[in-house]
Amino acid sequence: MSARQFFRSPWRTAGYILLVIVTLLWLVPFGQALLTSFRSYDDIMIRGFFSLPKTLSLNSYREAWERGGMRYYLPNSFIITIPSLILTLFFSSLSAYALARFRFPGNRAIFFLYVGGTMLPFQVLMLPVFRLTNALGLYDTYWGLIAFHTAFQLGFCTFLLRNYMRTVPGEILEAARMDGCNEFRIWWQIMMPLTLPALAALATLEFTWIFNDYLWAIILLRSDHLKPVTAGLATLQGQYVTDWTVIVAGALIATIPTVIVFIFLQRYFIEGLTLGATK
Amino acid sequence: MKRYLLTLLALVTTLTLVVACAPQTVTVTVERTVPVRETVQVTVEKPVAKRIVIYNSYMSDPAPREADAALVKMFEEEHPDIDVIHSTIAHEDFKQAIRAYLTASTPPDVMTWFAGNRARFFIDKGLIMDISDVWEKEGWNESYPKGFRALSTVNDKQYFLPASWYWWAVYYRKDIFDQYGLKPPQTWDEFLQVCETLKKNGITPITIGTKYPWTAAGWFDYLNMRVNGPEFHINLMLGKERYDDPRVKKVFTDYWGVLIQKGYFLENAAAYSWSEALQFMIEGKAAMYLMGDFIRDSYPDELEGNLDFFRFPIIDPNVPIGEDAPTDGFFIAANSQHPEEAKLFLAFLGSVKAQQYFADTLGRLPTNMGVDTSKFTPVQLKGLELIKGADYVAQFYDRDTTPEMAEKGMAGFMEFWDNPGAIDDILARLEAARQEIFAGQ
Amino acid sequence: MARRTVLYRLSPYLFLIVPLIIYCIWVVGPMLYTIYLSFTNWDGVSSPAVIGWRNYQKLFRDPVFYISLTNNLKWMLCFITIPVVGGLALALALNRNIPGAKFFKTSFYSPMVLSLVVCGLIWSWMYHPAKGLINESLRLIGLDALAKGWLSDRRLVMWAIIAVGVWRQVGYVMVLYLAGLQGVDPTLVDASRVDGCSNWQTIWHVILPLLSPVTVVVVVISIIDSLRAFDLVSVMTRGGPYYSSSVLANFMYIEAFNNYKMGYGAAISVILFILSAVFIFLYLWRVMQTEMEY
Repeated sequence: MSARQFFRSPWRTAGYILLVIVTLLWLVPFGQALLTSFRSYDDIMIRGFFSLPKTLSLNSYREAWERGGMRYYLPNSFIITIPSLILTLFFSSLSAYALARFRFPGNRAIFFLYVGGTMLPFQVLMLPVFRLTNALGLYDTYWGLIAFHTAFQLGFCTFLLRNYMRTVPGEILEAARMDGCNEFRIWWQIMMPLTLPALAALATLEFTWIFNDYLWAIILLRSDHLKPVTAGLATLQGQYVTDWTVIVAGALIATIPTVIVFIFLQRYFIEGLTLGATK
Repeated sequence: MKRYLLTLLALVTTLTLVVACAPQTVTVTVERTVPVRETVQVTVEKPVAKRIVIYNSYMSDPAPREADAALVKMFEEEHPDIDVIHSTIAHEDFKQAIRAYLTASTPPDVMTWFAGNRARFFIDKGLIMDISDVWEKEGWNESYPKGFRALSTVNDKQYFLPASWYWWAVYYRKDIFDQYGLKPPQTWDEFLQVCETLKKNGITPITIGTKYPWTAAGWFDYLNMRVNGPEFHINLMLGKERYDDPRVKKVFTDYWGVLIQKGYFLENAAAYSWSEALQFMIEGKAAMYLMGDFIRDSYPDELEGNLDFFRFPIIDPNVPIGEDAPTDGFFIAANSQHPEEAKLFLAFLGSVKAQQYFADTLGRLPTNMGVDTSKFTPVQLKGLELIKGADYVAQFYDRDTTPEMAEKGMAGFMEFWDNPGAIDDILARLEAARQEIFAGQ
Repeated sequence: MARRTVLYRLSPYLFLIVPLIIYCIWVVGPMLYTIYLSFTNWDGVSSPAVIGWRNYQKLFRDPVFYISLTNNLKWMLCFITIPVVGGLALALALNRNIPGAKFFKTSFYSPMVLSLVVCGLIWSWMYHPAKGLINESLRLIGLDALAKGWLSDRRLVMWAIIAVGVWRQVGYVMVLYLAGLQGVDPTLVDASRVDGCSNWQTIWHVILPLLSPVTVVVVVISIIDSLRAFDLVSVMTRGGPYYSSSVLANFMYIEAFNNYKMGYGAAISVILFILSAVFIFLYLWRVMQTEMEY
């Protein structure tokens, strides 16, 4: 119905206004963060949050980028996230294919093993993984973190992909088998292209999750120059303790990649959240 | 095509895993070249030959951070064949992270740390390298005062390099005091009067930021030392006295509680870190701050003329005077992968040159007696006098007692701050904790 | 029907072997090792020595454990009510073609894109007692008395932190319900309207039951997330003031990495796991029920 029709009812209009107010309230944290980041800390401290800014500048951003370390934290996040993403999608699609299209003893058990892992409170893994990473000589390296993310996300990704792969009609696969294709080729050339939508959705979701990880970054990394933005922000906070404008500017810089991914791949993000969540 | 991509991916994966597992020197190059593939090429082309020492420091506040970086540069100039990989970690984070550092297979070689029980804790577990040879070689056994040497020694071996120390005192705004005709108080009653006058005039008498509760521990230290004497205090730290002893309770009910009840402390102190609370003093909304001398690092230079300090007021003139004078320094991880370079770096850090620079730039007090004190500022000299006039020097609550006891103790202080009536419960719990923690000793 | 070759029979195992090994080494193994660790007194350095149930006995006597547990339960309570009701309401409201629906939807689930660290920092600034938006606004409209120390008052701090979690979670739940609503057969809804049911009755008696699969998922995920909460507490207060905002995950981190009581920390995480396991199994059971036989 058109807008005019919609607003004919006073109840609806009232409800709509309420919705607008609530939405704006929801966006307030963003707004105030943006406002703060363009001002200087002394300005806010001396004259209050609601004062008209004396100067507006990108100084806080510059500070967070240069001395705050965001200029290496941000690339680090990518170095850690992209390989983890590729590897986990690769391995989970292998697992998912096996679990989805084959009958064999242990299928159920392995599937539940993966599902159970998605819900683990990861603190349960904290200490042994720390010890393991140490023992493997991967402590304080990108690969220590990449290896962990790859392994940990396997659970959720396998679960999702397996459910999706089940919906592929079996005839296509049978036809390929009759043509003499081996399973690996079937997986690569038939199943994967068909699963592309799910993969895209999953990739978007996983990118956001791995990119935003904090706990594992602080446990498995020691050197400042290897930290991703999440851990880097905590360091920034420790460093610029009083200077909220820099801290907030740094935080906003950290959100840029995920926001970009979100804007362009919104559709996939939503799909990712809902894939397999409803039956 | 796809097969090729897959094989390449597998190859890259395996090779980078190999790289990741390779010795520390190769990992260094990872930091310089961002894309993973380039690292592979570097490993294959030339073996890394540069000597390195990994140095992790907690000097995250702006002024010490710069001085720290300058020292690193000076060392690198003296030893052009050694690269110092310098990481600065936020002060509070460092305290938690050091555990992971020391137990990692590739630990930092040299680390900043605190003297006292904090260092002892790791030394006893064999995580710190014996550096008696460096002490011997550099002649520190002679050029360092006996007190500092004792601080660094366990079972006749030296493990720690004390490098700088500073005093704690009540810092105050001279101009605000002048405005209301106040003089630095010397006794407890005078102190209460000063607070009352300030409060009446709308100034917060004492500012404090207890988000990280060690600032509150400073108050406990001083009140306990003034009321019960430094000997009792240290025994309490060592777990030899009870937390539910009436003498301990007296500190809370008769002194600390009074200040809290009368509202002499900053409101919502727990929301601010120590430097956020300093802001109030800078703006003239608060007048006093019990803090270490490093307060001047965060105080705007142009306003430092208005900042002065006085000794924490005497409560009982018959009790010996104890002061907190925490000592910071360095040590080397026991399983350091570059012990020679680490020892060279340490030797530099303990040298007159490095200490002179640190003392001159930051106004801290050096430990090496070879440092020229003639150029000391009046502030430094006053601080020195303050400590010289003390009968006993303590390291500070969370350095004198074990980390676990410190954490529980400080939580107890914060709880008391919020709810003074619960002091009996709080002390009972602290006592239970003390018994459990010091059980084996 | 193609011949089931040996290769065919072996295929699933070949596909699974590498991922499973990775998974076992990094997830399953560590989980089992944590259980073992909880029976030791490992301090992260010396070799672990088995001490039996001592860690658990200490845990059940530790007041901080109960404080943390209570906080997690507070979190859980908030998470299974506010975001669920709010998310459902929003989904119902935004499921039609109202002007600006896309804008509203995006606004509500945008916080999901931010990392918890970013959320924690942005909100910490908002909660700043002197100059933060919340207190400054209250002062502006004359409600000075309400301008509290949100993160420093032990009675408020946990709720203040949970509020951030809820702010973020509502959008997520809304998205799940929106997806669920796509699966609701519109003819059923129309039928109930034709039968004379009011809007409320339609929602309560027709739509909600049809959405129950989603509700189960939402509730289980909310419970698990509230048990796992760590990032916000760690960034905003580190569990302070004096443990009043401590949650189990944070408590565990401090005991293990600050107090060097790794065995004790492991015991805490085992308790955490057992609590979550109950809900994990409930969920798996439901998944099993609706699984079609292959």
